[in-house]
Amino acid sequence: MRERRGDNLAAYLFLLPFLVLLVVFFGYAALRAVYFSFTDYDMFNPPSWVGLRNYRQLFESSLFLAALRNTVLYAVVVTAVQTFLALVMAAILNQRIKGINFFRSAYYMPSITSSVVITLIFLWMFQRRGLINYLIYQFERYLPIFGTFLLLAVALQVVQVLWERSRRLPAAWTDPALAVVSLLVAGAVTWVLNLVAVVAPSDVPPVDFIWLQTTDAVPAGAPFWLSIPIPLVAIMIQNVFTTVPTFMLMYLAAMQDVPTSHYEAAALDGAGPVQQFFAITLPSVRPVTFLVITLSTIGTLKMFDQVAVFGSAAPLQSMVTLAYFVYDRMFPGAQLPQVGFAAAAALFLAMLTLVFVLLQRRVISAEAS
Amino acid sequence: MTTATGAAGPRPPGMSDVAFRRWQARRRWSRAALVYVVMLAFGLLFVGPLLFATISSLRANPLDYPPRLDIAQLDPRNWAAAARLGVAGSGDRWFGGFAPGSSVPFEIRYFVPDSLQEEPPEAIVPRRRPGAGLGAVLDVEFAADHATVSEALLVESEAVTRRDEEGNEIPGAYQTYALEITYQADGPVVGRLPLDVTAVSGMEYVGSTLTATRLERRGRTASLDDVAPGVFGYVFYNYVRVFNEVRSPSTGQSLFAAWIVNSFRYAFYRIVVTLVLATLSGYALARLRFRGREVIFILVLFAQMIPDQVLFISNYLLLRDGIIDFGPFSLSALWGQPGGMLNSLTGLVFVTALNASAVFIMKQFFETIPREVEEAAAIDGAGHWGRFTRVVLPMARPALGALTILTFQGAWNEFFWSFIVLTSPEQIKTLPIGLLSFRNTYGGIGDWGLILAGAVLSALPVIVLFFVFQRYFLEGVSFGGGKE
Repeated sequence: MRERRGDNLAAYLFLLPFLVLLVVFFGYAALRAVYFSFTDYDMFNPPSWVGLRNYRQLFESSLFLAALRNTVLYAVVVTAVQTFLALVMAAILNQRIKGINFFRSAYYMPSITSSVVITLIFLWMFQRRGLINYLIYQFERYLPIFGTFLLLAVALQVVQVLWERSRRLPAAWTDPALAVVSLLVAGAVTWVLNLVAVVAPSDVPPVDFIWLQTTDAVPAGAPFWLSIPIPLVAIMIQNVFTTVPTFMLMYLAAMQDVPTSHYEAAALDGAGPVQQFFAITLPSVRPVTFLVITLSTIGTLKMFDQVAVFGSAAPLQSMVTLAYFVYDRMFPGAQLPQVGFAAAAALFLAMLTLVFVLLQRRVISAEAS
Repeated sequence: MTTATGAAGPRPPGMSDVAFRRWQARRRWSRAALVYVVMLAFGLLFVGPLLFATISSLRANPLDYPPRLDIAQLDPRNWAAAARLGVAGSGDRWFGGFAPGSSVPFEIRYFVPDSLQEEPPEAIVPRRRPGAGLGAVLDVEFAADHATVSEALLVESEAVTRRDEEGNEIPGAYQTYALEITYQADGPVVGRLPLDVTAVSGMEYVGSTLTATRLERRGRTASLDDVAPGVFGYVFYNYVRVFNEVRSPSTGQSLFAAWIVNSFRYAFYRIVVTLVLATLSGYALARLRFRGREVIFILVLFAQMIPDQVLFISNYLLLRDGIIDFGPFSLSALWGQPGGMLNSLTGLVFVTALNASAVFIMKQFFETIPREVEEAAAIDGAGHWGRFTRVVLPMARPALGALTILTFQGAWNEFFWSFIVLTSPEQIKTLPIGLLSFRNTYGGIGDWGLILAGAVLSALPVIVLFFVFQRYFLEGVSFGGGKE
């Protein structure tokens, strides 16, 4: 269909409701945010122009600096960790087998549930005597048994692979058939060793780690810009948990589109699974990597819900993000709202998002060429 | 799958082709088995916290250490007892209660060492106020005002020997005491019948008709929240509390019920608004060539990327004052809500109506409809509107279904804007921010039973919807590329 005269009018009539909303709730709102950022508006008295004062004061506010540090570290760490985990998990699962749909729905469960519900559940698990500390405690307790099992399994695998190779069979170090045997035998032997009390659970005190009501940070002794407060670590763990499955499934879908013949050719050239991963899988899922990193960055930079739900459970300094900082200045409780200040911080956040996304696009496209 | 063989290399000399193929097949099967195990492990990992929270939400105190899965509320013996006691209390085996004329029999068993002078425990119906925080100001009927507890009588004694922590043998007996709680005079039906049974120090609680909710005073007092609960009242004790205990101080209305209604209403409005907006503008962007199309396109993309925090400053003021504060001509005054549109669902619908990804979904869908279909209608003289309503929309039914479900999920889980717009009173909130008041009111005093029960309830509709319409959600993920 070619452009006709009537089309212009019709198109704008069709778009009218959407455009009105776009102008009022987006265009006008964005412009007004820019305007407010140059004023001292407090929601009750008429605004007056203060120039760049709000922007200068941002960098004198210790809460803002904490928010900036938290936001950047949160975005970088979470994006890196969840992209890496999603990729590795997808690579492990990358096989055409039946029944994946059943598991797929289980994997989506955390990401379709509301962030408030997930955060409340994690808040409960991160209590001093909560599930997380209990699991760490159990892990420490059973570490000798678990370690024995692992060592045995690796040793058995090595012995078996060497044996197969001595028979000139092309067994890789990760040979699955041998691994099944190694794991089963190691499990049985560990069970017996535990039964006759050669290895026993170690006698450690219950873990009492404080995740929430603390101003501590990791790594200990790191400079301000590199230290991650413990409550923020808790939020990071939660976010990785919720988002990894979705990203993993995106990777998995892309990996299953890679033609089998590529792997066959590589196998003939003598490439093992690890080499195949780096030579074939990784380059073919590059578009997904870009998408995942972009989505993750945009999502993590505006993290807000978790801070709001944690609320008084953790010190504000130790988890505040830029998004929450804006809210905090708009509604600072008993004080007068600092709308101008909040607007300056909000625009700073918008700029930061833009810079991050553009930077990634640059880096990734530079790598590709 | 070739990485699956785990074998890189040719057949070794001296091995038959059949044997080598069998060798490779073993690799394939093993790998499939391992992948299933890993998949199962991942599945457990991702569903684990939700599942564990659901189970723990049945516990009287989900913070009890250590965390465990074999809880009293999931023990069928307790279900049977709860049903019996519910029938005894009020004739209702599901929800229980304490009605006039009823008499509830109860047995409790202790280990009494021989060295100890046997003495029957003392039972009272305590005057315990149900719940703290929201709704604690409400008048409630107390079972304590109507109940009479009989003396505890020794009905059974069985000699046993137990070992203490150091392994020393302690001779003693399991002694079972029976008591009865009666409601003699006339009065109202009371919702719950708490009971505290206190024994002398040295007697050790072993069990009772219904497992004690908690042991207090170093195990001397076995305390039960309700000895006539009925099955549902026992297993879903926290869930019943969520609806009954949390009430508006001014109207007495159940807050959680109000939040559910609000969430459904908000989701309904959002779906209607989104469907109308997304189909209209999606159609225009997909089908019509017009000036400024690219500009609008870029604006929409941009709108998706700008953080809500930039927009909420102005939009909050917009709801409060109108577009420009012109007094009687402000938007809110024109809308007929002179107090502004804050704290109203209408206001919330307005600020969340702009949904660029919904427009993209519909635009993408309309582009898949062959143009010839429309052109046939155009020859018959149908205008844009006619083609849109009579030809394109009926074909878009599956896409509209998917969009409805995705919008419902987005609206049901919506947090930021509700958090800004709906602040008071409590009964105007939607579920996510209602849960936040739960957390603020009950988190401090450690009443996680109530919080988790509320969280599980509010997650339920989306999870059910997800299982019924799984296909649509998966499409949404490939459309939108992630969560909203």
